[in-house]
Amino acid sequence: MTTLHVIAHSPFGDQRLASCLRLLGADDGLLLCGDATYALKAGSEPLQMLQAANLGPRLFALAEDLQARALDGTQVIAVDYPAFVELSLHYDKVNSWL
Amino acid sequence: MKFAIAVFSPAHAPSSRRALRFAEAVLASGHDIARLFFYQDGVHSASANIVAPQDELDVAAQWRTFITEHSLDAVVCIAAALRRGVLDDTEANRYQRPAVNLPAPWELSGLGQLHEAAQLADRLVCFGGD
Repeated sequence: MTTLHVIAHSPFGDQRLASCLRLLGADDGLLLCGDATYALKAGSEPLQMLQAANLGPRLFALAEDLQARALDGTQVIAVDYPAFVELSLHYDKVNSWL
Repeated sequence: MKFAIAVFSPAHAPSSRRALRFAEAVLASGHDIARLFFYQDGVHSASANIVAPQDELDVAAQWRTFITEHSLDAVVCIAAALRRGVLDDTEANRYQRPAVNLPAPWELSGLGQLHEAAQLADRLVCFGGD
């Protein structure tokens, strides 16, 4: 059973990202959207946490949110909405960190 | 595949717009939406009284158009709506309130509708946050 975790809150305001990374299963995916994409800010602590988790091809971000915040998307797989839909079907469940 | 989509944020929050764009992509990809469920502050996404600033997207109006055009089942949690003053004709009469702000295509109902939608659908996707 695999889960796509979706986070939409800034990693600088709460512990969602840290908690999620602690719970993430070996085959689970993580999609950052909205303010959660600030986790990719260069030189930041959240980015270090993401790099340490070494998610590789299981780390995604909504392309429009990267673009809106001028964030570097080279360390993630940027997805548009049709790809978000496909991702939600690729994993068995979708868990949004509300 | 069948999707159930739950919205937890008001129309002015980025996640309400994100939910709408996701829902549009679900249908555009040839999948079905079993039900849309608006819960907690998400009930504000259903209010007909929202006046969006002229230079911003009117996400509440876009939800209304989307739901009407595709004849979708759009349920607003009744307990969450009442406490936030989102009332249909029946509830405004029942509690003797002066205004109605939840016309069709929205429908007030209980949390059981979210549970049922989760059972009916292949995926439940919830939207909240910033």
